[in-house]
Amino acid sequence: MTEAVFRETAADPRTQAVPLAHLSIELGHLYMEDFEAGPERLRQHFAQVRPWVDAARAAAAARAGGKRPRVSTCFLIDDYFTRFSSPAELVPLLLAEADRAGLVIDYLARESGCAVAGKVPVAEAVAGRIVESPPPGSYGLRPPAAQTGWLANGERSPVARAPQAMKKAAVWQPPTETAARRHSVFLDVELWSDDPDGHRTWSCPFLAAVWQLARLGLLRNEGEPVFVPQPPTDRGFPDDWDELPPLIRLNPRADPFAAYRTCSVLPNRFLPVEHAVRVILDQTEVDRGALRQVAERSAREDVAVPDSVADRVSYVFYAGS
Amino acid sequence: MAPHESAPRAVLAGGEIRTCLLPARQALDVRAAAQLLGLRADERVLLSERPNLYARSPDTLTGIDCPLPSANGAHVRAVGTVAARAALTEGRILQTSAYFRLPASGPDQRQPWGHYLVRPGLLEPFGKLPHEAVAQGVLDGGRHGELDVGLIAGGLLTRLLRHPLLDQRPPLRSRPTRLRWVALPAEGDQGPSIERFTLAEDELRTVRLRVPEGTPPADVAGLCDDLALHDWLLTTLVRLLDGIRLGSGPPPARVGPPADDRPAVVAALRPAVDHLLHLWMPRARVAKELAPLWEALEERPGFTRQWQALVQRIRDQLTLHAIPSLYREVEPAP
Repeated sequence: MTEAVFRETAADPRTQAVPLAHLSIELGHLYMEDFEAGPERLRQHFAQVRPWVDAARAAAAARAGGKRPRVSTCFLIDDYFTRFSSPAELVPLLLAEADRAGLVIDYLARESGCAVAGKVPVAEAVAGRIVESPPPGSYGLRPPAAQTGWLANGERSPVARAPQAMKKAAVWQPPTETAARRHSVFLDVELWSDDPDGHRTWSCPFLAAVWQLARLGLLRNEGEPVFVPQPPTDRGFPDDWDELPPLIRLNPRADPFAAYRTCSVLPNRFLPVEHAVRVILDQTEVDRGALRQVAERSAREDVAVPDSVADRVSYVFYAGS
Repeated sequence: MAPHESAPRAVLAGGEIRTCLLPARQALDVRAAAQLLGLRADERVLLSERPNLYARSPDTLTGIDCPLPSANGAHVRAVGTVAARAALTEGRILQTSAYFRLPASGPDQRQPWGHYLVRPGLLEPFGKLPHEAVAQGVLDGGRHGELDVGLIAGGLLTRLLRHPLLDQRPPLRSRPTRLRWVALPAEGDQGPSIERFTLAEDELRTVRLRVPEGTPPADVAGLCDDLALHDWLLTTLVRLLDGIRLGSGPPPARVGPPADDRPAVVAALRPAVDHLLHLWMPRARVAKELAPLWEALEERPGFTRQWQALVQRIRDQLTLHAIPSLYREVEPAP
């Protein structure tokens, strides 16, 4: 079927492209405890974030080689693990505190949108794209150590079987990190948990990995983009989180939401979560069409984008909780 | 910076295909085929209705880090991914196909896994690849612990055969076949060619190809899927005719009603008419550049010639059995 004379649309894979900025800067993640700590917490957060945002912009400008880089900012609110406040109450407060620090939030996203965006089960789809890094000796069989719902950056310790009578207990074997430089930093990430009713709760690192893929413009559902920014309605922000689209564009003049690279400015306590995010991204096969589009587009613009998806992601961790 | 371009050119591609009859009483319609082959929640199953009904799953990847089989005992470790996909033709024949490509050389160290995931279906050797020796090694089958793409194709097939859509009641008896292939670069500016097509023991076929540099491995895999499909059809029909006693056998020794062989022969041949005879369609989805390779097989051994002869035999038998035995001067003979 290489001739274009006869064509069937269902037999032709199509991937819709998304507009791309050079850099997507995440100005923060908001959890219930942050909100409960009052507006001062937000004020402090944005004040600490500001200099790093300037630095990230400067770095993007340096990479763009004199041209004006396209940079967009975003903010993620947790409405997945705990529900608190309402968009009508929270969003204006958030915007005011960001503005006080001289920051503009271009896009606002809800964390539950990383689980299910509209009707698209994004998290489940991304989970289906995990290709585990094979430990040496993998010749085609599925690794026997595969644990459903967990993902490691290496080989787990062998399971110690109950010692039989008169036999010595098996000696403990350490786990190993596959990409270790001499010594291992082994990490085993819980991707989800199921309750007795079969309801699945995605873990925070897993949703954060989905969030990174969204910001990198690499998520598609049957070729269609998943996170399409919606403008806010004229009636202001709703009283229920479910009535807010998964991603809204707060700044009408903003550069595109998705970008070649991302930078997240977060307090230190997110370090283990983001380590886990890297482990997940390093073992996720993203949509090939989307990957090709980013590669072709960046080549045309003469912008260097790292091959590996995990390497497109960067962080600033500031002191604080 | 495009990862697909930055990878060095492949000097060897290979794969293995499993072909079997779908274990279901009825052929699957397009919608059911899409359900069976929906290996990923976010990727469409490719569906095509011309020139025949065909559905193909998205590719899935399996991570590999092991020595490559080689005919001369050279020990070459390779890391990367093997791609695998499944296809259903006319809702009846299920195939799983695993394939990979190898560049002439690779880094001496294992890279972060994300490096391999943006090069789907590529295995990178540590150092230089002795591609002729590895090609032969792949066709011969490796030793335990060496790359085994057949395991990947077989694993995907096993997974699909457990699907609840399948009632496990195939309309006729048949055996699955395996086809293992390698493709080496063609000399100079020569076109593609089949160097060898071998029917080995245990339902195993091996194919050795030469293809011009830059031929996409997915296209070569597509050609081999097509060869495997038609080889399976021939194999199955030959076996079907082999397994039944044509004609009426020795004349009855005792007086009594003449032995009526009609139900047995007709019952044995009918499923072939219902489910197989319309499936012969070589080159239906083979890339244009590789389609001429079929001509070599048509020349010798003559795939379509043999198929037509088998089909004619089946039709003759059914025609003869349609005539009441009273009017038959002689009993149909093989």
